[in-house]
Amino acid sequence: MTLFLLTGIMILTYAMLVCQRVPALIQNFRLQSLFLFLVTLDFAFRQKEAGIFVVAGLLLLVKVVLIPSFLNHLVKKIRVDERLGLFLNPLLSLIAALFLTWGASVFCSWFLGTSPTAVFAAFVVSITVVLVGFFIMVFRMKALTQIVGLLVMENGIFLLASAITGGMPFFVEIAIAFDVFVCAIITGIFMYRINKVFTHIEVHRLTDLKG
Amino acid sequence: MLLFWVVIIPVLAVALSAVLPARSRGAANLAAHGAVFVLAAVLACRITSGTGVVVFGGVLRADALSAFFVLLISLVNLAALAYSRPYLREDIRAGALSPGQARGYDVLFNVFAATMLVVPLLDNLGHMWVAVELTTLASAFLVGFYNTKASVEAAWKYVIICSVGITLALLGTVLVYYAVAAQTAVKTLDWSVIMSRASGLNPRLMGVAFLFILVGYGTKAGLAPMHTWLPDAHSQALTPVSALLSGVLLKTSLYAIIRFAMITNKAMGADFTSRLFIFFGLFSVAVAGIFLLAQKDFKRLLAYSSIEHVGIIVFALGVGTPLAVFGSMFHALNHAVTKSLVFFAAGNAVKKYKTHHLHMIHGLVQALPFTAAAALVGLLSLVGMPPFGIFMSKLMILSACFQKGLYAPAALLLFFLAVVFGALMFHLSASIFGNKPKGIEFGKEALSMKLVFVSLILLLVFLGVMMPTPLQALLVSASRLIAGEGL
Repeated sequence: MTLFLLTGIMILTYAMLVCQRVPALIQNFRLQSLFLFLVTLDFAFRQKEAGIFVVAGLLLLVKVVLIPSFLNHLVKKIRVDERLGLFLNPLLSLIAALFLTWGASVFCSWFLGTSPTAVFAAFVVSITVVLVGFFIMVFRMKALTQIVGLLVMENGIFLLASAITGGMPFFVEIAIAFDVFVCAIITGIFMYRINKVFTHIEVHRLTDLKG
Repeated sequence: MLLFWVVIIPVLAVALSAVLPARSRGAANLAAHGAVFVLAAVLACRITSGTGVVVFGGVLRADALSAFFVLLISLVNLAALAYSRPYLREDIRAGALSPGQARGYDVLFNVFAATMLVVPLLDNLGHMWVAVELTTLASAFLVGFYNTKASVEAAWKYVIICSVGITLALLGTVLVYYAVAAQTAVKTLDWSVIMSRASGLNPRLMGVAFLFILVGYGTKAGLAPMHTWLPDAHSQALTPVSALLSGVLLKTSLYAIIRFAMITNKAMGADFTSRLFIFFGLFSVAVAGIFLLAQKDFKRLLAYSSIEHVGIIVFALGVGTPLAVFGSMFHALNHAVTKSLVFFAAGNAVKKYKTHHLHMIHGLVQALPFTAAAALVGLLSLVGMPPFGIFMSKLMILSACFQKGLYAPAALLLFFLAVVFGALMFHLSASIFGNKPKGIEFGKEALSMKLVFVSLILLLVFLGVMMPTPLQALLVSASRLIAGEGL
């Protein structure tokens, strides 16, 4: 079951790199978060701990419902060009992601040594998700893609925490979920402001401050 | 109870700022931050015996290191608050801000202060991570406060780059958590618990985790090459906020790095962190020196100088002897006081000349004599002239470096410091002296502003000439904690 869910996350992560339009990317993020929720739920059933159920519920609320809806709402409101603006085309991005995955697996086998396959797979998938999130931040032009990239990175770390350690302590999880939510709102507000003062949200054109 | 009040008073101040009218709001905020400062001083005096204070079942915890950082933060908070009253009043009079925005500023300032004060008091590394991220989010609006193109751009870069950094730090935190869980079968992120079991942790895992921590929190601490957000944010923020960012925000991230370094040192010996600290420290000082030489913007100049000083502090942590670590903590204090003073002076100058460009700001002595005097004292202190505190702390750090036989790093550091000295002297003396441009009238500062300047200058001289015994005791116990009791 865990391996199935991990595969799902992997496929969705790669699919993000093929997205060419903003709504597709947000939808993809929503699906990835849903799978993350399923991983946590699966874990909660196996551990039978009330705390993990609460964390899973919070994940569903914040990352599957609230944040994507907020981002969709923002995109409608600022009415910019829906294309993401790719610095690297989908095919090359995918190949790059494959290399990132390979790098992640080399890195993990280097420092994990011998460990169960499930732990190893979870490790590789999480690190790949983090790297792909970073990749999206760097190789896509819009401010919105940077927000999504950041959230994807956080998803990867969350996956790592729940897959290899069975989740962080309860209050830490709650605090982090709250923090991610606030972060999404505030970056969203700044994206709105950028659109207002610059009349575009293309990050590579923000070059007033130098040196 | 002391810890509780330190955390809760700024939160109360947030609520008060939201409801009180302008006049009583100023007084209430000053009273609140004055009270926090006094409490921090009391905490610092009480705690020097070496043991920690714990409340709420271990949620809040303070030892000498946290007490020192709380003292540092509350001091700069108080100074920045006292300076921001006349600063904002002028902005409102000039029409740059509305009274409603001034209220918003007070609320955000207090949120920012509260998040920074809570960072050193949290025992749980996960909670600490959340608090550090909240400092970014709270201060983002203060960086983008004027809502101009430049300030929005700066705020965006600030939030995004720091959030990515902080995310990497979370990855490091998760790895530490995993290392602890794998080794001792205890699931905890409490620093005190991890520290007591640190010697058995997997060194390889801890090494990788510490790398993520250093790059992650180092981004927010302003270490080169992750510093790119810093000059933008520091130059665009309101001046009192620039002082806070430079004086204490960078240091709260350093605090987080120090906490993790203590665990890592215990797990794998001090060599690993030491080398990294020395490398990043030297690199930061070098990068800052190069950018300082070619700088054209007054506030960016000071921002790069902050990178330099963070570099020195981290370098000293890398040297790692008790004297070096003592110097490092002392340097953090000196830098916070000096940089606040210089930023306040720069804020006045920028407002008077209505430009950030260094080549358009000259003859400050004729335009704003009092500010010019403060800027000159700040400049001399910043480059490390006696009798100011920074001279003493640099001396300690360098002599510790020579004692330990690290000749090449010490020589490199001295060389880069000489570059920085030349650059700062060249740029700032040209701004302070000379003839003022036509059209700039002679001006005077508000009395409360002068008071802030005078007290900061007195504090600087005081720290350089003699060190009060309680402060010394506090610094000694803090550096013992960091360097390990055995040394």
